[in-house]
Amino acid sequence: MSVVRLTEGALQAWVERLIAKQRVIGVQAKDDHFVYDDLKRAGDLRLDHDVTLLPPVRFLLPVSEELMTYDQKGYESVRDDEPFILLGVHPYDLVAIHQMDKVFAQGHLDPHYMERRAHSTIIACDVETPSKNCFAGEMGTATVQDGFDVLLTRIDGAYLAESGTVKGDELLKLAGEDAQAATTMDLDRRARVQELNRQALRKHHLNCSPEDLPKLLAASWDDPAWKERSEQCFSCGSCNMVCGTCYCFDVHDDVNWDLESGTRTRECDGCLLTDFAKVAGGHNFRHRMERYRHRFMRKGLYMPERFGFVACCGCGRCVSACVPNIANPVDMYNCLLENHPEFATRRETVEEAPERDPYLPESATVLKVERLTELETFYEIKLDSGRPLGHEPGQFVEVSLLGIGEAPISICSAPNDKGTFEMVIRKAGSVTEALARLKPGDKIGIRGPMGTSFPVHGAGLHKDIVLIAGGLGCPPLRSVIQYFFSHRSDFGHLTILYGMRQPSDLLFGDEMKEFEKQPGVTVLYTVDHPDESWKGTVGPVTKLLPMVQFDANTEIFVCGPPVMYRFVIADLNKMGVSNDHIWVSLERRMKCGVGKCGHCQMNGLYVCQEGPVFAYSQIQDVPEALS
Amino acid sequence: MNEKPRVAIFDLTSCEGCQLQIVNLEEDILNLVNVVDVVEWREGISDQSEEYDIAIIEGSVSRPEDAERVKKIRERAKILIAMGACACIGGVNKLKNPLDLHEVAKTVYGDRADAPHLHSEKVRAIDEVVKVDYKIPGCPIDNREFARVIKSLLVGAEPSLPNYPVCVECKKAGNVCRYELGEICLGPITRAGCGARCPSYGMWCFGCRGPAEDANTDAAREVMQRYGKTKEDLEQKMSLFGTH
Repeated sequence: MSVVRLTEGALQAWVERLIAKQRVIGVQAKDDHFVYDDLKRAGDLRLDHDVTLLPPVRFLLPVSEELMTYDQKGYESVRDDEPFILLGVHPYDLVAIHQMDKVFAQGHLDPHYMERRAHSTIIACDVETPSKNCFAGEMGTATVQDGFDVLLTRIDGAYLAESGTVKGDELLKLAGEDAQAATTMDLDRRARVQELNRQALRKHHLNCSPEDLPKLLAASWDDPAWKERSEQCFSCGSCNMVCGTCYCFDVHDDVNWDLESGTRTRECDGCLLTDFAKVAGGHNFRHRMERYRHRFMRKGLYMPERFGFVACCGCGRCVSACVPNIANPVDMYNCLLENHPEFATRRETVEEAPERDPYLPESATVLKVERLTELETFYEIKLDSGRPLGHEPGQFVEVSLLGIGEAPISICSAPNDKGTFEMVIRKAGSVTEALARLKPGDKIGIRGPMGTSFPVHGAGLHKDIVLIAGGLGCPPLRSVIQYFFSHRSDFGHLTILYGMRQPSDLLFGDEMKEFEKQPGVTVLYTVDHPDESWKGTVGPVTKLLPMVQFDANTEIFVCGPPVMYRFVIADLNKMGVSNDHIWVSLERRMKCGVGKCGHCQMNGLYVCQEGPVFAYSQIQDVPEALS
Repeated sequence: MNEKPRVAIFDLTSCEGCQLQIVNLEEDILNLVNVVDVVEWREGISDQSEEYDIAIIEGSVSRPEDAERVKKIRERAKILIAMGACACIGGVNKLKNPLDLHEVAKTVYGDRADAPHLHSEKVRAIDEVVKVDYKIPGCPIDNREFARVIKSLLVGAEPSLPNYPVCVECKKAGNVCRYELGEICLGPITRAGCGARCPSYGMWCFGCRGPAEDANTDAAREVMQRYGKTKEDLEQKMSLFGTH
């Protein structure tokens, strides 16, 4: 540990040298508040600030950032590699940044964040003026021992500066002879400042330890306080926007005036906003109460489950930002503790940004287009690189259209030798409306394959397979059917139960007729609204279940609209089918497909990562799964 | 695109400030006329046309002949866009609706109040008269949003507006909450898309873009007490754009 002492004058001179060297983003006054902004003069720096309006992580994950540009030739990743110094970062905000480092490094590395992070230098400072709503002391984030490049602490009219990294050593060298070695007495004083901060930054008192929060929240799903408090909620997302650990985002395309080129931009999004969990077609998986609850659950339960930390650094910004005053996490957790008194009682180096950008689509060509129904169209696609997609039955891809955007689409074909794959797209939103106009030869962007698949490999023991499809649930299951026929000797009997609204909704009717003729295959249909020609079953798809024999090894794959699952599963359970053998494919708004944007989350699970195909036993206790 | 889409811009009762915002696109207006054919625009050109791919109306319907005009425009237009608060929600023109219209006319025009060309009726937004396909809200409109909507239509994407409250953009802009400054702000219940322009320039939100989807006005009324205000204070603010 190298700690030096800088007089106030020496600190100013040092900051001037930093500004001369590279871009410095430092804390400055804005009226009666404080903000991070480009620092032009050392004199503008306010290390005595209480809290900034927005957290410093907004310089690593900006409220809006271009992910890529595109033109008719394809997409090009946009990276920001300008080095910069964040100056004046309070310990709780530093903790939040390190949490984000983990989030963006886990699984698919996010090169946009990671590259900016790799080019950042953080000069932290211990708090001099506690803000009115800070509860960092309660969360264990009032002070830090590491994670900074330099840490400044004010003691008796001077600053102690500790370097935590090689980068920090280099910066402190700029202080030259102004820097004097800190004495033991200096270090004692600093220890006292930090001890005082751990006590003073407790403007709200949490009646349990942060480690207890996951247990508390897991037990509080149905607490009446969610509903009561959420009635005051504006769904305005203020709590999300000012939060140092909220990182969810939305992605949209902006086309240039040539109407051929443009940009794809991601923008901070908030789980409190009305459309956050709304999917194309209009179903909203979370209403006001569920959105309100989700934020607390995410911070205190889902993030600890996934990453190992409570994603609240105690900065108190959400408390100040919420007009009806219902965002205070401490208040909420204490309120939940009233019903559950039984619960009352560092860091890795940042990884280098990877070469590959998981957000960048690769170019593909539409080979074939076939209109199936009024709303649904069939496409055959080939990647321009010639590489096979390499998917498994049940997986999906993100399909991009220049200037319009991206949508998750299930693959409806099994892997084949031609290196092509197929999809059925229903017109349900801007992207799918535009996709419906594609012609053979048109170019699209593809990312994937993504997500989990139906367990066709595990079924190699001559097991019987039952497919239950509702409406547009048929195409993803078609990939299983194709796989079944290309690996016929691995399987036993195949039964397809296919429910649709009306006979004209039937997809792949000719293929289905061919399937039926094969030995060991049964296909049964039902419709909600028969026409005059219909002679088959009428009613929900559950009506077909009694016609099927299930043995203990039968695997059942279910895919259909959200409402179908409950009824089908309830009936299957009544017939003695265990939840380990029921596989469902769930629909959510999978915006990024790489487990970052947050839209497809149901409780602690990301549908794009742990799903979309789940064994029902995996999700039977996940309340948001089939809501 | 082989033939450029034919675009026409019309104005009814309004200050024409939204059309001025189009003019304020500056060099982008040249880009705009590169990709569309402006066939009718009183403020910009003298031509007239019979058919439009996109018709844009600024202003609200406040006279019987306005309604007839709007219906004719609708008949000739493949896509009809209401532009600005007056066209989208009636705007400040609707302030007179709860009052005696003759009294209003006398206050404004004095002796000349009975002149036939000054006869007006209760103000209506365009979609109270004919079907509107898209709205570009705001008083005035944000010309970047205007450009985005037009470009979306040209590339065949569905134009979409933010449906969340202004607070989102206000927080992103790093503003201090107007409630913290002791003001009543309509940001929490008003549709975003303006970039929180008023709060960013030191004023509260006037609600010119109309309510956000799912706007919680009940909560807005209840929260007044917390800030030492009354529901009536809030409602008075909400009456300006007649939206909530």
